[in-house]
Amino acid sequence: MTIEYEAVIGLETHIQLNTLTKIFCPCKADSWNDPPNTNICPVCTGLPGVLPVLNKAAVEKAMLLAAAMNAEIQPISFFDRKNYFYPDLPKGYQISQYNLPIARGGYLAFPMPDGSERKVTIQKLHLEEDAGKTKNDFGRRLIDFNRCGVPLVEMVTGPDLRSADEAAQYIIRLRQLLRWIGVSEADMEKGHLRCDANVSIRPKGSNVLNPKTEIKNVNSIVAVREAIQTEIQRQIREVEAGHRIEAWTLEWDEESGILRKMRSKETEADYRYFREPDLLSLQIDESWKTAVLSTLPELPLQRRARFAQQYGLPIYDADILTSERSLSEYYEATLQAYQGDPKRVSNWIINDLLRILNDLGIIAADLRVTPAYLAQIIRMVDENVINLSTGKALLDKVQNSGKDPATIVAEEGLAKLSDTDALEAMIQQLINENPQQVENYRKGKTGLLGWFVGQVMKQTQGKADAQLTRSILEKYLNP
Amino acid sequence: MITPELFDHLVELAALELSPTEAEYLRQQLNNQLKALQELVAIPLQESIPPALHGVSFPAEIRPPIREDEWLPSSQVEAILKQAPELDERYIVVPDIPHQDLE
Amino acid sequence: MDLCDYAAYQLAWMIRRKQVSAVEVLESTLNRIAAVDGVPGRLDGGQDTEPDKIHAFITLTAERARQQAQRIDQAIQAGEEVGPLAGVPFTVKDIFCVEGTPSTAASKILSNFVAPYTATPVARAEQAGGIMLGKVNLDEFTFGSSNESSAYRPSPRNPWNTARVPGGSSGGSAAAVAAGEGCLSIGTDTAGSIRQPAAFCGVVGLKPTYGRVSRYGLIAFGSSLDCPGPLARNVSDAALLLQVMSGADPHDSTAANFPVPDYVTDLEKPIRGLRIGLSPDYFRITYVEGESGELAQQPVPEDYQQAIYRVAGRLAEMGADIIEDVPMPHTKYSIPAYFVISRVEAASNLHRYDGVKYGYRTKQPVHDLREMYRKTRGEGFGLQPKLRILMGMYVSAAQYSEQYYMRALRVRTLIRRDFEAIFDPQGKYRLHALLTPTTPTTAFPIAQVYGDSVLMQFADQLTVAANHAGVPAISFPCGFDPEGLPYGAQLIGADFSEDLLLRIARNYEIVTESDQWRKRIPPILQNL
Repeated sequence: MTIEYEAVIGLETHIQLNTLTKIFCPCKADSWNDPPNTNICPVCTGLPGVLPVLNKAAVEKAMLLAAAMNAEIQPISFFDRKNYFYPDLPKGYQISQYNLPIARGGYLAFPMPDGSERKVTIQKLHLEEDAGKTKNDFGRRLIDFNRCGVPLVEMVTGPDLRSADEAAQYIIRLRQLLRWIGVSEADMEKGHLRCDANVSIRPKGSNVLNPKTEIKNVNSIVAVREAIQTEIQRQIREVEAGHRIEAWTLEWDEESGILRKMRSKETEADYRYFREPDLLSLQIDESWKTAVLSTLPELPLQRRARFAQQYGLPIYDADILTSERSLSEYYEATLQAYQGDPKRVSNWIINDLLRILNDLGIIAADLRVTPAYLAQIIRMVDENVINLSTGKALLDKVQNSGKDPATIVAEEGLAKLSDTDALEAMIQQLINENPQQVENYRKGKTGLLGWFVGQVMKQTQGKADAQLTRSILEKYLNP
Repeated sequence: MITPELFDHLVELAALELSPTEAEYLRQQLNNQLKALQELVAIPLQESIPPALHGVSFPAEIRPPIREDEWLPSSQVEAILKQAPELDERYIVVPDIPHQDLE
Repeated sequence: MDLCDYAAYQLAWMIRRKQVSAVEVLESTLNRIAAVDGVPGRLDGGQDTEPDKIHAFITLTAERARQQAQRIDQAIQAGEEVGPLAGVPFTVKDIFCVEGTPSTAASKILSNFVAPYTATPVARAEQAGGIMLGKVNLDEFTFGSSNESSAYRPSPRNPWNTARVPGGSSGGSAAAVAAGEGCLSIGTDTAGSIRQPAAFCGVVGLKPTYGRVSRYGLIAFGSSLDCPGPLARNVSDAALLLQVMSGADPHDSTAANFPVPDYVTDLEKPIRGLRIGLSPDYFRITYVEGESGELAQQPVPEDYQQAIYRVAGRLAEMGADIIEDVPMPHTKYSIPAYFVISRVEAASNLHRYDGVKYGYRTKQPVHDLREMYRKTRGEGFGLQPKLRILMGMYVSAAQYSEQYYMRALRVRTLIRRDFEAIFDPQGKYRLHALLTPTTPTTAFPIAQVYGDSVLMQFADQLTVAANHAGVPAISFPCGFDPEGLPYGAQLIGADFSEDLLLRIARNYEIVTESDQWRKRIPPILQNL
């Protein structure tokens, strides 16, 4: 008989906060596209004699994140030094928080695609500084300090995830949350959100915690899923072959899809943590905390549930509409202006507006089609002022010009042609010019009605009221 | 007591290459200093005594204000790079760090 | 008496009134340096070179100083506003970064480091018009109490007797000031490194309250203890330099946001009614007996004790109340706690010297990065840094840190409470200052103590408690021992009471102004 295994997974994430400057010096934090070693100063390159000075914005963003993760913000916390040698760490220690960090506890509850819910506890949430970057170059290492001192929140989950898919979902929901509350760009490709995974396996139903391996550098959603899946399979093979799992540190090579073992020498370390004497304790009083947290918006999963409940939307719609914060705000603003069926607004956004967003690579907040304009367009379609295809085309026109939809309709004469006399004259002429088709129709080829409708549409550039056209045609073709 | 084995471990952690004479002198001095520390270990300390990160307590009214998130580009970038023992373009160069493949 | 022997406040006044130019003062000082200093310390220098010279300097920046002095003179000629130190020559302990100058920490590992920025206290002294003469010697990374651990040899010698150490770690600073090689010097004090050499060399040295003077640009040793401070030949000059160095600094989060009082104006206000304490705990030292490792106690030498009691007597003449038998029961734990805290911080602070970004990198071929680290650090650091690194590694290791490091931080609380109790305005003692000997002995002979790291550390026994507690302390000369070596008296005060300490010390200068011992000058200056 075969044993069924389950995985026990914990994720360690490093989140770059999107502050303007670094955590301990006034250098620019974002160095994307900048040449190496340009956003540096004596402080972040660890020159002799320099001292760190804490960035207020980094603290405030960490507070927002802590609150969004249901963690408890501490009135007093401390910074500590984590000592180790690595060439990307210019001081030889990282300023981090050890036993008294800015927040304690916390969890994230999130839905799985099958509708079930997972709750992941947070074991650690603290502020620290990022290290620089190194890259291999034919037997040498090249070092760039631009990233040194970018503010990070390190967040470690409990061993609460049970599959590679759950781990991937957690990261997806975390990324959504980070962008939603505006604390990180959370672009995994740019290293804003980085992930290490601790993986072990056990027979399903068991409660033991077996030795785990740590996979470093799983830095995309796909990598999270694949690296963990690969490691679970490897551990199952090892266990079934009677081998013990050793507490290795592995590295995921995303390109070749293989795990590499890192040298144990580099990973077994006593960091000799101790209090950073160059910084005072971090004190967060009630008034500061209240002021910062008052800016915290309704969170994405709460809004998702509310949309489904309050507007009667399918969870599929609610999920998409809350995938990004400004989109969800756009939806509600449109609905407010439209004062009609919530599902109808959702359809317009999901079916048509998302295409524009994707094509232009912008977010809803950047649209020139404002919620008021979108509501106006939907209403014009509802009221038969324009037909559906005109309405959809109007979206692009408004986006391109920024003009009021009604103005465009008037300027371009896009309103439906519903003048019966004009249509009758046009149709009379059409019948006179096409005796053969008329005869075929009358002999029973009723499908030709569509051809006649098409001809009218062609002549009116699509503006003819389709229903009216049809009924006039029927009158003339069936005397 | 710092044994030769423990001493070697500390030396490795500290990334120091020592001559045998240096090592012998340092280990002996360390052990002498440890004797001086016995006093510290023996001090009766009540649980209620908190650790002091600094002697001065830094009450709120003398704490400097926290830094605002304002960009101030450094004028010392090139002077900093000039100090590097080895440069390639703008990269600082160091010897390699060996890795090992798993399978 | 040459121009360079004048007090800083006198020179500043004369220069501002155009009685003398900054360039003339500078040239007089450079002449003095040429006459008494001998060869500067160098990496390949020998300790025995010119044993009758001072050797205070590592780097003399004469040209830079000349340009500064000329600028000051031009400004004064043009009638521009100049700072309170305008034209006053000063030296800087080579533990501070000064832009464009070698900043070595007296270590091979920083021998080729040219600082791209200037430390705040130095920048402020220069902004005040001070003329920086150059960088003076110290114990390597400040690790020592005799200056003998400097990698730059010959190390400085005591101007009162060149066979004696100048003290340390600010030995170059104290020796230079005593010999007229600059009126002032900026030093640092982690366990007594300003006060002990000031006492040994017969000058004034002040360790300010932790946070009074910014540490930005001070190459760190024990970050929770380090304090930059002034050394000078008299109290008024020390006040003048402290005045310009002090105050909050956006580069240092531990520089207190506390207003800087006027240290100079009220110096000579009377001290009538001030309460000055004497503690038996500061008239004996506790040390570890060589072989047994047992703790033993020993009184401070009788003649030194008497010197301090005489100071108390003179202060009483001025109207101060002398309070005896003030208990400072935790003083004896200062050294063991210091062994732990300073080593943990030092080991971490020295991590950055790895041959990657600046400073020395091994010239030997290496196979990988780790070997580069080991060789660079092995060759670049002297024995004292190595010893501190290893000790720091040991006592902060995960399995020992509770027993040693956390314990030491709690002992620091006890030491602090000793001071809080005696300075408490509502307490039993209500002291304004505690008067103690600065050091357990006067300057000891070169090579007598160096090498025994434990014995050397106990030279700081009477000074280090103030560093633990963060409180300010001043050392000032109060006579000579039978061998002609200066005694130092120390006043320790409550947080941010530098003004009071300076005032008491200045009152002592006034009352002893015509004492015979005040007329002595260092032998090396007698035959110039």
